[in-house]
Amino acid sequence: MAFHKITITINDELEQVVVPSNMTLMRMLRETQALTGTKNGCSAGECGACTVLMNGEPVNSCMILAVECDGGVITTVEGLAHDRQLDPIQEAIIEAGGVQCGFCTPGILISSRALLNRNPNPSDEDIREALVGNLCRCTGYMRIVEAVKKAAGMKIVAAPIPMPSD
Amino acid sequence: MEYNTHPALPEFEYIRPASLAEASDFLSHHPDTARPFLGGTDVLVRMRDGFIKPEFLVDMKNLDGTNDLRFDPSTGLTLGAAVNMNRVIASPDVQAHYPVLAEACRSVASYQLRTRATIVGNICNASPAGDTIGACLALDGTLQVHGVNGPRQEPLGEFFLGPGKTTLRPGDIVTLIHFPLPPKGCAGKYLKLGRNQLSDLSIVGVTALGYPDFSCQSGYHFRLALASVAPVPLVPAEAETYLATHSITLKTIDEAASLSADACSPIDDVRSSARYRKQMARNLSAKALTEVWKNLN
Amino acid sequence: MAQANITNISSPVGESKPRIDAREKVTGAAIYTDDLQFGNALLYARIKRSPHPHALIKKIDVTKAQVLPGVKAVVTGEDFPGYIGLYLQDRFIFCRDRVRYVGDPVAGVAAISEEIAQNALDLIEVEYEVLEPVLDPEFGASPEAPALHPDLGQYVVAGFIFPEAGTNISNHFKLRKGDVDGAWEKCAAVIERSYRIPHIQHVPLEPHIAISRVDEKGEVTLWTSSQSPFAQRNLIAQSLGLSQSDMRVISPVVGGGFGGKAGVSMEALAVAIAMKVKGHPVKLRLTREEEFYTAFVRQGLVAHFKMGCDETGRLLAMENRFYWDGGAYTEYGVNIARAAGYSCTGPYEVPNVKGDSYCVYTNHPVGGPMRGFGMPEMHAGLEQCMDELALQIGMDAVDFRKLNCLKTDSILATGGRIHPIGLVECIEKVSEAIEWGKKAPPSAPNKRRGKGLAAMWKAPAMPPNAGSSAWVELAEDGKVNVGIGGQDLGQGSFTISAQMAAATLGVPYEWVRVAAPVDTRYSPYEWQTVASRLTWSMGNAIVNAARDVRRQVLDLVSEAWEETPDGLDIVNGVVISYKSEKETPLKNLVIYGLPKPDGSGWRGGPIIGRGNFMPNDVTGLDAETGQGEHGVVHYTTGAQAVELEVDLDTGQIEIIKGVAAFDVGKAINPEMVKAQMEGGLVQGLSSALFEQLQLKDGFVQNPSLVDYRIATSTDIPREMKSIIVEVPQDDGPWGARGIGEHSMVPTLPAIANAIYDAIGIRFDGPPFTAEKVYLAMLDAGTFGK
Repeated sequence: MAFHKITITINDELEQVVVPSNMTLMRMLRETQALTGTKNGCSAGECGACTVLMNGEPVNSCMILAVECDGGVITTVEGLAHDRQLDPIQEAIIEAGGVQCGFCTPGILISSRALLNRNPNPSDEDIREALVGNLCRCTGYMRIVEAVKKAAGMKIVAAPIPMPSD
Repeated sequence: MEYNTHPALPEFEYIRPASLAEASDFLSHHPDTARPFLGGTDVLVRMRDGFIKPEFLVDMKNLDGTNDLRFDPSTGLTLGAAVNMNRVIASPDVQAHYPVLAEACRSVASYQLRTRATIVGNICNASPAGDTIGACLALDGTLQVHGVNGPRQEPLGEFFLGPGKTTLRPGDIVTLIHFPLPPKGCAGKYLKLGRNQLSDLSIVGVTALGYPDFSCQSGYHFRLALASVAPVPLVPAEAETYLATHSITLKTIDEAASLSADACSPIDDVRSSARYRKQMARNLSAKALTEVWKNLN
Repeated sequence: MAQANITNISSPVGESKPRIDAREKVTGAAIYTDDLQFGNALLYARIKRSPHPHALIKKIDVTKAQVLPGVKAVVTGEDFPGYIGLYLQDRFIFCRDRVRYVGDPVAGVAAISEEIAQNALDLIEVEYEVLEPVLDPEFGASPEAPALHPDLGQYVVAGFIFPEAGTNISNHFKLRKGDVDGAWEKCAAVIERSYRIPHIQHVPLEPHIAISRVDEKGEVTLWTSSQSPFAQRNLIAQSLGLSQSDMRVISPVVGGGFGGKAGVSMEALAVAIAMKVKGHPVKLRLTREEEFYTAFVRQGLVAHFKMGCDETGRLLAMENRFYWDGGAYTEYGVNIARAAGYSCTGPYEVPNVKGDSYCVYTNHPVGGPMRGFGMPEMHAGLEQCMDELALQIGMDAVDFRKLNCLKTDSILATGGRIHPIGLVECIEKVSEAIEWGKKAPPSAPNKRRGKGLAAMWKAPAMPPNAGSSAWVELAEDGKVNVGIGGQDLGQGSFTISAQMAAATLGVPYEWVRVAAPVDTRYSPYEWQTVASRLTWSMGNAIVNAARDVRRQVLDLVSEAWEETPDGLDIVNGVVISYKSEKETPLKNLVIYGLPKPDGSGWRGGPIIGRGNFMPNDVTGLDAETGQGEHGVVHYTTGAQAVELEVDLDTGQIEIIKGVAAFDVGKAINPEMVKAQMEGGLVQGLSSALFEQLQLKDGFVQNPSLVDYRIATSTDIPREMKSIIVEVPQDDGPWGARGIGEHSMVPTLPAIANAIYDAIGIRFDGPPFTAEKVYLAMLDAGTFGK
């Protein structure tokens, strides 16, 4: 099986990684980049625990080949905070009590950040629809929805999401 | 029953052709061992489940024009094969002229999955449960196929042969789907029933489209397509004819819905039963037609 | 008896402090078991599993797998003859002569990559003699069924579990009180109902995972996502013939448990395989699919209820029979049958009771502990019967419950009286919050609206001597480290541990850390993180340990100041004297002590406090009658109500409002208590509307998230309200009792009762899928077609 050398920007840092054809983006992040914040809940694109931003948009990283990401820009949960300043959605979810076991949390934060980027003032329904691909078994979702609304109202401006340069 | 799932993807070669010709050539020379993919949301899952074992996965994204989304006010909408569903939903042209297509896309899985899922991929996967296929049929979508013998058009009407089976041959690549301008004054609706509120595969899906058409006795032409009720996406011709030849009232809508259900041959499976599917085919057809009718008036 | 700390200082107990572990979780820094880094010594394991629900193993040939390049070891049950189990030792680590469910482990492979290990499985050849499977618990309990565990009579079993040798009944709990047969004729209304509650699964977002390493001395380390590091150490060591101290279990952050990561399920497999590759850590993780059919599942239940009341609505008699589909091994499930047995009346006073709760072996996946431990399954039917009986006697369902429910000092079906409880208050508050009695119009012509309510009770189901312990130490900066053996599964146990330690000691909450991950080498003993017992049991241990520190500090300072300890206090980390108004910060004395007043040396030294807690008055229950003066430590009671709409076109159910009230004694962290209520209600809703392991011929037909649906963000009620009721538990810290499980117990029957209110239809079992509801309406003639 062939190995491919890819160039990929992860959380603002340019990396060169050698990956086998069958390695998913999720495994590449977790196993070669020590970015274990992105979680493996099902490896089937169903639970959303592996959600990352690829070129600014949320994707299930378990269903993407790493080799497809050559030239791409990835943001993981580790890339949401900047200089120890948490992203509003991170602050808000703590305040709202929307974190319990925390396994779904990275994916939820990524999906929420992307939602707020495309819709700065989402309704409850918008939020629920945007998060339907992020399963949570602990919280019952109510406080997560509250957190996204809270974050939408926060004055802190989130750092812009990196995009590919071309 | 056997459980085949593996923790990770099996070994395979990733091939990224630089051109359509190269892609078509490779696929035709490896008819049994190579598989094209776009978003990968069907192919990768089935590989992990052990259902398919391709030696080569051929990445069809970024080939000549497959990323283009173009609306021409005189000819219609062209969606490149690699255009993801979120782009379709967000497109102002789609929202303005083909809203039922956006509605169908919106019902698919989750936002994350729709960043990768494509309409062309949905069509080529040819699952009878495909959510966007009905809208493509009702809107008279035509596929542009690049084959070993050159390009050709494939209208969707005859495209589906069975679950997972289409008229495509080894070496065929679908590069885009084109929709003619929608009929004047048309209204459409996609109703999908899943086991939960959202994100599920369809138990039954109904696409309804209607527009004024004086060549029809009733003055209206209705198009219908049902998902998950037959081996292929189903167009209930008798129901469509009935609506063309009878004045549209709640009663005739009801009758059309019954004809729609009669055309179905659903199965029992892990998601639902044939009996429930028949009932829902009728109920959802009635509901979708009623809503379209309301919007036409 | 726990005492709150002194007076006018705001105690962190009772405040909704932010989670102590929130920041690491939201930044992706929290380390879960699969995040641990082991370098290139790490091997990966995969398990060869039985494809049959029931078969004898005739031959296993591993030779081809052993020589696959990259494979380091292949193990089978031949090398592991020890039984393993919590309440009943009925299981081998790897099957030896027989497989009893689809997925039963038959062999294990360790290799340099997970892919190679997986490929090696295909090279292991196993010859089976297929046997007829037992697929129903009532049949399994009958004399016609083949005995799945012929050696049941010889298994090591806990003293309070009663297996019937030669049968598939691994536990039979009997409750006999009063004269049930004679009571029926006195009843003005009697109903008899049966229910089939299907198997469901916990679906934690983090699947099971275990990494084990055995060193050349033979000492074992196990890293695993675990609710029960100490129990796992105990059970696995016993089975392997190790001394408990030669095994170390470490549990990093847990991504959800719900009971499934308690006891031992797949963890022993990793240890067994690691024994064959000494020195290498071996990682075994379940795929999501394996999680559905090879990890613990919630037992199925066939329940028969018969109950009657007099003309005033007073319950006179109940005769309830439960057949638990325990699956292939019931080493844990036997206690679920027991718990349901002693709880079989529900939270009501009933003078005449006959209860029989059978745990039955079947060739189904392994039943184990799941949130509620038998209570959701039992209340599913019982709380519907209550509604039906109320209807029959012409009473409002809420009034019927208020009349019959347990109140302080009510007599329990097991004998003895119940401690002070706020169940009536819970029922009242919930019916008020749902506006019981008012019927709102449906939101559209094709909808029907209904309301339903259900009550519940549950005691921690555990051995009478399950213990907790804690230590508390301080550093040179005066800040506090609390050592505990209980786990935070997300429910917030670490946070409230810090709150309780802070309150007892007299330091700010922000000064307290909890020593995590739980590591049996350094953490003090905790029986298991189950049974909703930590706040109460571990809380008491923490209070005792913090009190120990406080006593040492005050003794030391009182000597140094030549005062008496009772005039001293610790406030905000400062030791103060109310008498002399002297003060000294804690940090000045917790490591180096204080100089003696006469200059002749130093006193004190590093201060370390210890505390433990174990119930000491649980009496046990008689084997024939289930009677005992004090059979459980306490009960948490509560109620939920829902308002929903049924869509007549599709049968879909939408929950408009869900309200809950539970008597938690004392909410140590009120927002966290409410978060448990919300999460439990949604998990309960999910089990009511969507969830079922579809079993056919012993095979789970839907072992994936595609076809096992759980509630998503779009399925939750439009509105949820959680109400805290506090009737103190006299032996709980600040009066606290548990809440973790209880919030999932009454949801399903509340929904069932609401469906009946909306469309007049009941079902003999969940889930109440749109399909089931629609076809039932169709068959009942609801549509008049």
